[in-house]
Amino acid sequence: MNTITAPAIEYLQLAPLLIVFGAGILGVLVEAFAPRYLRRAMHIPLTLLSLAGAFALVIVQTIKGVPTKPSAMGAVAVDGPTLFIWGTILVLAFISLLLLNDEDHFVPAASAVPGSAEEERALIEGNVHTEVYPLALFAIGGMLLFPASNDLLIMFVALEVMSLPLYLLCGLARRRRLLSQESAMKYFLLGAFSSAFFLYGTALLYGYAGSVDLAKISTALSANVGQDALLFTGAALLGVGLLFKIGAAPFQAWKPDVYQGAPTPVTALMASGTLVAAFGALLRVFWVAIGELDWDWSPIMWGVAILTMVVGAILAITQTDIKRMLAYSSIAHAGFLLVGVVAIGDAKQNATALAAILFYLAVYGIASIGAFAIVTMVRDAGGEAWHLSRWAGLGKRSPKLAGLFAFFLLAFAGIPLTSGFFGKYAVFQAAVAGGAVQLVVVGVVASAVAAFFYVRVIVLMFFNDPAPDGPTVVLPSWGTASVVGFAALATVVLGVFPQPVLDLAQSAAGSLFVR
Amino acid sequence: MGETVTFWVLAVASVAAALGLVFSRKAVYSALMLGVVMLSLAVLYAVQDAPFLAAVQIIVYTGAVMMLFLFVLMLVGVDSSDSLVETLRGQRFWAFLAGLGFAVLLALGFGNVVFAAPTGLAAVNQAGNVPSLAEAIFTRYVFAFEVTSALLITAALGAMVLAHRERAEAKATQKDLSRARFVAFGETGANPASLPGPGTYARHNAIDMPALLPDGSISQLSVNRHLARHTEELLEERSGELDASETPVAEITEGENSK
Amino acid sequence: MELYAPILVLAVLAAGFAVFSVSVAPFTGPKRWNRAKLDAYECGIEPTPQPVGGGRFPLKYMITAMLFIVFDIEIIFLYPWAVAFDQLGVFGLIEMVLFIVTVLVAYAYVWRRRGLDWD
Repeated sequence: MNTITAPAIEYLQLAPLLIVFGAGILGVLVEAFAPRYLRRAMHIPLTLLSLAGAFALVIVQTIKGVPTKPSAMGAVAVDGPTLFIWGTILVLAFISLLLLNDEDHFVPAASAVPGSAEEERALIEGNVHTEVYPLALFAIGGMLLFPASNDLLIMFVALEVMSLPLYLLCGLARRRRLLSQESAMKYFLLGAFSSAFFLYGTALLYGYAGSVDLAKISTALSANVGQDALLFTGAALLGVGLLFKIGAAPFQAWKPDVYQGAPTPVTALMASGTLVAAFGALLRVFWVAIGELDWDWSPIMWGVAILTMVVGAILAITQTDIKRMLAYSSIAHAGFLLVGVVAIGDAKQNATALAAILFYLAVYGIASIGAFAIVTMVRDAGGEAWHLSRWAGLGKRSPKLAGLFAFFLLAFAGIPLTSGFFGKYAVFQAAVAGGAVQLVVVGVVASAVAAFFYVRVIVLMFFNDPAPDGPTVVLPSWGTASVVGFAALATVVLGVFPQPVLDLAQSAAGSLFVR
Repeated sequence: MGETVTFWVLAVASVAAALGLVFSRKAVYSALMLGVVMLSLAVLYAVQDAPFLAAVQIIVYTGAVMMLFLFVLMLVGVDSSDSLVETLRGQRFWAFLAGLGFAVLLALGFGNVVFAAPTGLAAVNQAGNVPSLAEAIFTRYVFAFEVTSALLITAALGAMVLAHRERAEAKATQKDLSRARFVAFGETGANPASLPGPGTYARHNAIDMPALLPDGSISQLSVNRHLARHTEELLEERSGELDASETPVAEITEGENSK
Repeated sequence: MELYAPILVLAVLAAGFAVFSVSVAPFTGPKRWNRAKLDAYECGIEPTPQPVGGGRFPLKYMITAMLFIVFDIEIIFLYPWAVAFDQLGVFGLIEMVLFIVTVLVAYAYVWRRRGLDWD
């Protein structure tokens, strides 16, 4: 009888994760034992403090020095890129949760039939599903673990932990209930399908390499010759699962529907946090596990990047729903980011590309939360004024709000003096250095097309006459106001003076992913 | 040898069951066929020296998931048919084409694989399959294992949020109900007593047989109205038997306490 | 193979019992046919009636079902832990208790929110 020695777990390195999950579990306890009128008051400090605490721990870890080998028996890699991604996700999650705090985004009774008397009564009684706080925390915990997993199995668990609460949250919008339920259903079915692809790919790679450890798969590449079909099929299926989460074409179909139906704060969380987490995981799989194989996967990735940029930019033009338009814009941005993924070369080139992607993710995430925060503030009688025509002339009624929205749109377009410009510039520069000049040309053209529809919205807001019964702009709560303020400030500051964050991204990316 | 025989027997059984699952018209048969497929898989795992996986397959899939399917099918009514209106035109054709393409791609890919000799099974199973798994779960994957609990909590939370209705007012007690019945009796004359029980006969011992009142007439109140499809038949039958010109149906108004 | 011998014996016993009961019943039991025999539950509980064209049915079963699956998965993790308990020692115990307590939080939530009440 041999005893199994207890594993060495670096609790301090994993502390941000543990805090977020722990706070999620405490949140469930609050749901279980606190009386209804106290729940929100307890959730808000618990949720925000845990995210802030986790962020502080990420900073402590960064100052103490970046670990050079994976923690928890090699299962979780807390390296430079991970720490940067964690910091980004925690900031984005914090401001998304400030947005989520606003009371009237969520349905009072999710189990009631939409439009029924029961729902009406729950609304009058002031019921709220405060479960959204622990659910959001679990989703954020999954987002943190997903890009940090150094092992395909743990990556899969993280993928599910991240996705499952999001499927639920999507179905809880207060208004346009049927659309919300439809979006949750679609997201769940397609997400489960993509998870199956991920798992199948994992199984095939395990069959090829005899391990699900990313580093061991990488070493097996040179050792196992002659089973390429297993390797290629496995890598392709794994790629499908990851590209789905990013919303890259041809796996983008879920994104507009889900972004449209989900409650807007949840959309903001998905458009920022999930995208960052999924890109982190995609980079880790493609650069660490099958990085040696880049000759084989980069042509496909080229195709996917081009298709994603083109589909996102062109279909966005035809949209009439503001949230769907932002969803297609998010698809286009995923395409721009994929340009950076392809720009692979020697270690120095990789570090440049990685830093560019990290910076882009951070600035795009913040700007998109700001844009969605403004979407929550423009209201019609039946909720958010979703139709683009309703936004006509908004610049004449409330110039400040419309100006801010225009500013975020310009940041998406990548106009100089906004953070988006430096993000795009960094990624395209890295891609040129990596020899992907044609891809950059496509990217610039797609950016121009994308700029067209951003500018079209701006023209609509400022140069069209407002409708007589146009939407009202609600007075924002302190949470929403601070989200918009922070996002605008960050977009300006990083647009004028991006160097500190760029430096941070560069030093985080300098050590690349640990193996 | 034994392994090969088992494989071919189970291969035929499970593929046949899978085809039955897809082509069977009755949902319950499909569910039972699914059970056969799952059990065959479990035995195949066992033959492949994976007792833990076999146990999991039986406990979770055959035991839990499968039974839940049956449970839901029975409660929902097995003969309900779905709406077959296609909202996307031609989607079946394209889905079929895409599926076929994917299958061909996989088949071509795996057809060309030269599999190396499997290694490592003996080494891993040396300490026993389940203890080795325990070692993996509690060392390298201990973090994933603990995080799984977040998944389970999310599942419970989701079920509650989506399916549970919070009571708006307190549940009526026996006393409340009884009081309400007598108030109704006072106001409208509705029968406050419990309804007559069903009749049980020598030839029919089922609950859907209505009771006979002392005058030989049939009490329709004695049968749950969902089950009451026999009353008409019985009326006809009895009218022949008794050769009576009239078959009066008892007239007791239905009270609050419907069966 | 001897690992599965008890299971095999049990399976044979179960199958034998099932075959015996089903094949003997037609010869020994009374045959009184009526339509209620075709119901899913002969005791009189109707399957939830379906409105024409599909419709809604009560979802309360889902909570029961989901909790059942949640604890089923928990059992799956308990199994290897129990088998290797001696080798795992204190660390395994701590991790397992942590896991069970976490899952019990979900149970506490469902219980306190009256998810277990059937009405």
